[in-house]
Amino acid sequence: MIEVKNLTKVFIQKNGEELYAVNNLSFTAERGEIVVLLGVNGAGKTTAMRMLSTVLQPFSGTASVEGFDIISNPQQVRSNLGFLSGDTGLYARLTAREVITYFGHLYDVEPSNIKIRIQEISNLLDMDDFLDKKVDFLSTGMRQKVSIARSIIHDPPVMIFDEPTAGLDILTAKNIVDFIHRCKNDGKCVLFSTHIMREAERIADKIVMIHEGKVLAEGTWQEFKQETGLNDLDDIFIHFVNRIKDEEIVNEF
Amino acid sequence: MNFKKILIIYKKELLDLFRDRRTVITSLVLPIVLYPLLMIGFSSMMSRQEMKLEQQQMLIYLNDNILDETSIRIESELQNIENLQIMPKIDFYDETPLYELLKDKSIQAVVDLKDSLSSTGYQVLIAKIIYDETSERSSKTYRKISDKLFEIENELVGERLQEIKINEEILTAIELKKENIAPPAQMLGFALGKFLPYLLIILTISSAAVVSSDLVAGEKERKTLETILVSAARRNELVIGKYLTIITITIITVLLNLFSMYLSFHHIFSQYQTDAGGLQLPIGNFALILVLMIPLVTLFSALLLSISTYSRNIKEAQSYQMPVLFGGIMLSMVSFLPGFELSFGFALIPIVNFSLLIRNIMLGSFELSHLFIVVSSTIILDIIAIYISIRLFNCESVLFRTAEEKSLKFWGKDKKNVFTPQFGFLFFIVMLLALFYIGGKWQTENLINGLIRTELLIILLPTILILRISKSDIKKTLRLNQTNPLNFILIILLAFPILVLVGLLMQMINIIFPIPESYMESFNNLIQDITIWKSLFVIALLPGICEEVFFRGYIINVFRKQGIWKSIIITAVLFGIFHLDPFRMVPVTLLGIWMGYLLFKTNSILIPIFAHFANNSLALLIGRFADKMPYFEKILKDGEFPFWWGIPAILIFVFLLKIFAKINDKSCFNALELE
Repeated sequence: MIEVKNLTKVFIQKNGEELYAVNNLSFTAERGEIVVLLGVNGAGKTTAMRMLSTVLQPFSGTASVEGFDIISNPQQVRSNLGFLSGDTGLYARLTAREVITYFGHLYDVEPSNIKIRIQEISNLLDMDDFLDKKVDFLSTGMRQKVSIARSIIHDPPVMIFDEPTAGLDILTAKNIVDFIHRCKNDGKCVLFSTHIMREAERIADKIVMIHEGKVLAEGTWQEFKQETGLNDLDDIFIHFVNRIKDEEIVNEF
Repeated sequence: MNFKKILIIYKKELLDLFRDRRTVITSLVLPIVLYPLLMIGFSSMMSRQEMKLEQQQMLIYLNDNILDETSIRIESELQNIENLQIMPKIDFYDETPLYELLKDKSIQAVVDLKDSLSSTGYQVLIAKIIYDETSERSSKTYRKISDKLFEIENELVGERLQEIKINEEILTAIELKKENIAPPAQMLGFALGKFLPYLLIILTISSAAVVSSDLVAGEKERKTLETILVSAARRNELVIGKYLTIITITIITVLLNLFSMYLSFHHIFSQYQTDAGGLQLPIGNFALILVLMIPLVTLFSALLLSISTYSRNIKEAQSYQMPVLFGGIMLSMVSFLPGFELSFGFALIPIVNFSLLIRNIMLGSFELSHLFIVVSSTIILDIIAIYISIRLFNCESVLFRTAEEKSLKFWGKDKKNVFTPQFGFLFFIVMLLALFYIGGKWQTENLINGLIRTELLIILLPTILILRISKSDIKKTLRLNQTNPLNFILIILLAFPILVLVGLLMQMINIIFPIPESYMESFNNLIQDITIWKSLFVIALLPGICEEVFFRGYIINVFRKQGIWKSIIITAVLFGIFHLDPFRMVPVTLLGIWMGYLLFKTNSILIPIFAHFANNSLALLIGRFADKMPYFEKILKDGEFPFWWGIPAILIFVFLLKIFAKINDKSCFNALELE
């Protein structure tokens, strides 16, 4: 599971001003649950996920993955994490199998187990035909599968997807969504970020709406609808954005 | 750190790189193919060219103004030279058309024969050969003609001696014989030693550059960096794995280069084996160079890896690598320069030390102590460079550097803003060029006059103009503020310990890099030649005002946004460069820091101006009157301070500095920081 507590990230901009990319973010994601981070571009989704995967250091606050703290135990956090984002690349000069094997080694999977895992994943994602081809010659859909295989070679209990469907066609995107559901059924904890409301609705057990680094609302669509009395997803989102703006104005006085 | 994981990263990177065409070509194929092509192609081209030159027709014009027995004899002898033809005679009013013919290469030489009588009554024939040294054909024609003329002269002298019945042998008092003791191998080493370091260093840097730009900046570009950062590998393991990869490929490149070079040389020299008398290439030297290259390769690898880590993509990495490549080329060219020998000082300068050491090794004469200094100083630099590259890789603001918002516009948003670093820097460069070309010319014409004009017209005037154009408040920008009168007294007192400390620093620099004596002499002459008041004006007062207005009045404001100390230091470094004097660069920069500190501490430019004036005049007066003061003369008899003077100088300096800081409000710096 993932527990995020008051996670904050500050970037110092070129003009010397501080930018709160993530501001006091808190939420939890349980095993067998799909939690969606929903927000417009620049809301802080990627920054939050990078902190969870220990690529970035938080400014304040912390989080834990499977009980391991991201600040004091980054090594264990990464071992328990599969990370996939829409724009990550692959080593084009290696074959699919070489790429997956390399990550298997990096994730400390036993060399004998790597072969077995690759076969399992290959069966699961139907990759047998191109496993020994160089990534350079693969189609976008095939590459996406290699990326998935790369992120789950160590069978992590927690999966983080950072806008994994961005820029993909419907069929390829469907592969990912199917895969996310499979992760959930396997009892994994899934954190998923998107700016597409409909996608969030379709996939989420719980939604954490964030805007300008802050949490707008947390709950299921059903709860949001009851709370706001609105039906359209976009309207609900805008409603929450306006509410927080009003609060800020009130706070200033 | 887990070595198994480093090994996995290392193996994968090697596999990945060996499948990359770019790496394979620059690092492996190029060295193997380059030397045979270069050597064999070059030598066959040379011999063919020589043959061609030999067969080339030479056309000359003979202007015979004498037309007697001797001159006709010369003409016929010249005609006997193989492939040489004499142009039919044409009537010229002057020689201009002949020069034209020479210039457009339709003839190769003009021989002008004139008559003159020596005091002894014998005829002396004056043969003037006009030719073009830049043309190979023309130079060759000249050599052929002059050889032939010498031959004829010998014959003529022989005939004359016979007439008066003197043995020709009387002319030979010394018979010159020469024997070159350098064995052929050493001659070869001498030739190789000149360009081998240069070639090796260039090839090392370019190979390491290609590999390193691919390894981090390439991963950023292909968006694979994040995937390894989120893996269970530690950052240090990743960076060390990558680092070892760069070193490996680069060492393979060096090895292939040396090997291929050895083979192709061997091939060529085996063809000349018979007449060179068993020429052997020193293979041991090649092996030693290969081992020695390892610390240099590690240094370049770490440096280029840092650049790659900082860059956002391969293209950016390549442009940041350019200065390293150029620096490497410039420094390694020292092996071409005559007179540069490896010394303690040069052994400390990276690249230069290797260039000279490799040259010495190829010559077969090097000192072990130098080798030790070169290697150990490079290893120290290695450790620093590796530390920096690991730190950079762990620094998220570097690894995830976002796009720069500002483009490289010199003016920024506000067209009249001359206080941007870009404009300031451009302005500085223009001033530097003006100083070098215009100021230098003025000063060679007339030193004193030139110095005055340089200070006023090249340094002060443009600065005032640029401040006027920007319509900024000149009084405020320059900090033309009043200040505590006590400061002036303190500055005079401070000038003494500073003079001693700067003098000691120069002495230390002199130990490591001996300053040429001619240089010191010209400096002393400058001080001695003119009256004391004039020299105070030219060397102390004018620079005090003009240079301080430029540096502490304008340049320092350009970098104010970078923070107080950064602006002081950047300005001081530019100040050091501005003096166009490598020997004084460091002390002048330190003085620049001192002036910058004074400026911000007192918030008045009057103090740095006065300090500049005080320091320069003190140095001038002591230099001038040292011999008139018995005590000083004893101490300064070699123009040097005793080293123990440094201790009281520092103590006095610190003491006075404390008083200075007390007089000038301590909160001054903080207030400026908020400005």
